Amino acid sequence: MVGKEADPAAALQRPDSFGRFGKFGGKYVPETLMYALTELEAAFKSLSTDHEFQKELDGILRDYVGRESPLYFAERLTEHYKRPDGKGPHIYLKREDLNHTGAHKINNAVAQALLAKRLGKKRIIAETGAGQHGVATATVCARFGLQCVIYMGAQDMERQSLNVFRMRLLGAEVRAVHSGTATLKDATSEAIRDWVTNVESTHYILGSVAGPHPYPMMVREFHAVIGKETRKQALEKWGGKPDVLVACVGGGSNAMGLFHEFVDDKDVRLIGVEAAGFGLDSGKHAATLTKGEARLPWVGPEHSFLKDVGRAEYYSITDEEALDGWRALSCIGDISCTGLSREAVPTLPDATKVVLNCSGRGDKDVQTAIKHLKL
Amino acid sequence: MFELLQAELGVALRDYVGRETPLYLASRLTDHYKNSKGEGPLIYLKREDLNHGGSHKINNAIAQAMLAKRMHRKTVVAATGAGQHGVATAAACAKLGLDCTILMGNVDMERQSSNVLLMKQLGAQVKPVEGTFKDATSEAIRTWVGDLDNSYYLAGTAVGPHPCPNMVREFQSVIGKETRKQALEKWGGKPDIIVACVGSGSNALGIFHEFLRDEDVRLIGVEAAGNGLESGNHSATLAKGEVGVYHGAMSYLLQDDEGQIIVPHSIGIGLEYPGVSPELSFLKDMGRAEFYTVTDEEALDAYTLLCGLEGIVPALEAAHALAYLGKLCPTLPSGSKVVVNCSGRGDKDVATVLQYNKNKLPN
Repeated sequence: MVGKEADPAAALQRPDSFGRFGKFGGKYVPETLMYALTELEAAFKSLSTDHEFQKELDGILRDYVGRESPLYFAERLTEHYKRPDGKGPHIYLKREDLNHTGAHKINNAVAQALLAKRLGKKRIIAETGAGQHGVATATVCARFGLQCVIYMGAQDMERQSLNVFRMRLLGAEVRAVHSGTATLKDATSEAIRDWVTNVESTHYILGSVAGPHPYPMMVREFHAVIGKETRKQALEKWGGKPDVLVACVGGGSNAMGLFHEFVDDKDVRLIGVEAAGFGLDSGKHAATLTKGEARLPWVGPEHSFLKDVGRAEYYSITDEEALDGWRALSCIGDISCTGLSREAVPTLPDATKVVLNCSGRGDKDVQTAIKHLKL
Repeated sequence: MFELLQAELGVALRDYVGRETPLYLASRLTDHYKNSKGEGPLIYLKREDLNHGGSHKINNAIAQAMLAKRMHRKTVVAATGAGQHGVATAAACAKLGLDCTILMGNVDMERQSSNVLLMKQLGAQVKPVEGTFKDATSEAIRTWVGDLDNSYYLAGTAVGPHPCPNMVREFQSVIGKETRKQALEKWGGKPDIIVACVGSGSNALGIFHEFLRDEDVRLIGVEAAGNGLESGNHSATLAKGEVGVYHGAMSYLLQDDEGQIIVPHSIGIGLEYPGVSPELSFLKDMGRAEFYTVTDEEALDAYTLLCGLEGIVPALEAAHALAYLGKLCPTLPSGSKVVVNCSGRGDKDVATVLQYNKNKLPN
């Protein structure tokens, strides 16, 4: 394993030809899927240099998704975090919440749907937990006229009946998974089983930078537009780069989308924030990188790599801190946005430029927040 | 001072609201309306659903909230029907540090409860009023008059006494201005037809205004026929109303023979208003704009159609404009450019549509 001094993040091709980021990543799958993954990787590489494909994708990102998303100076939030001496960082929000369907997920979903069409696939499958990725997938399938099957744990379906209906309205078939705990991990197993069986006709839209190669690389590349726009917008707004980038980390796709453009800019700090749930010591959390246990077993391998080489820092916040942050953001900054860190902010020099990825709107969380905040 | 306000507003519209909104070619919807020979118009959607807050309402709310701040008012008072204007106003007030009170009909609060929660989360006080939007409007005006020095009445639509209709139209006219520029970029011309839903008229005027003097651009407003015009349960003010004074302005109005206000109905709650913008009344009378109606059922079908064909969930209000395409498209020359104002997204309406579609879906 290379040490920090050798600047390994820049030196290595990320990922290498085996799909590895250091020791992380790779392809640990049944033999039946190997060909599909190789075919996918070849298609992806060829389309990356295909001007027609890029032009079509750019048109969709602009007219359908609504890009560019703004880089918004959050004035009142900046005031809120000022220290008693009046000094503090300048906080900007990258507004992925304004995308069509309300989150960053659509960036990857449209691109993969377009890729699937190029591959001649007529059928799309995906798994979903709360339903966000399912809705994004159903959305793009409607847009492109593709058959869509979403696997969802039966427990999750009960809790998220409106999202289930949304997916059906969008023309998707939502299949209940009853095995195991009837939640996300079981839905994922079913989706993989479906793909193994129907690999020739079917493309599997994985929603995050996890899973076997080439998915982590592909999903990162499809979200990299977030970071590219941020660089351009930062230059326009203050003639420089961000000093600190902050993003929430579940699987890691919105974070990689923002970070990727800046990984080789050593003067830009990268901060990922995980969910500490009831606290890291409670055992009830999803802080895979901070705590090192695979509770949510699919944080992206590239994040694991960036943490190991010290290029990115990872912290966690509890449910309570997240709700406080959410409340501060919406009452003061007035945007319903999920994911916020208080950790890094108090330590920053005056006028540091902090860009926070507002990866989605929080309309879906209002019920939860109201219940917990007792508003 | 005006230039400073314009500059500040321009930044807010770009970075906070997310403008420009795209002009999107709905190719699957276009194909759907082609005839057996494969001919038909090209259908574009002006994506006001992508704005922060999910509708066109924020264009006006942010601008007026800035005005209120310039005027040193501390509190903003507004009335809301479906809740979109309430959410937009609450958001704008949170952003600018103004106190916010939203009046909402108790009937509407139940029907659009998700918006009520959002307004509260955004820091606004939500006060229930017996009835619906028209009653909330009366109460909001009353509240404002009770504290003229400190409060600002933020009109959500192009009704009320002068200068409210004019101001709202001006702040919404960014929709039409962008549309002209985008049409030129995309096909080197103007829209042939513009279609918008009409409740009180703010989104319609917002897109029409830019093109009023372009006689070759047809302007079509679509009102809510509710359960059908003959049922008496509708909100089709321009189709069925008479001229009268309501909420401070003379305009078409749904009133009975004794001059009592008729309670309007529509599945699109934002269209439920017995009055209408005086300017739209004028445009109807002089024949510059045409007005038609669609029923609840037609709107609900259009909602489902757009979901399935384009993956866009329209507000039920906007679905009224979309529903009119069924009658309009067969009459148009092939290749006509139709722009429909998709005035809001329909996440708030999923529960309503679920109720309606329960028996219709296969799985």
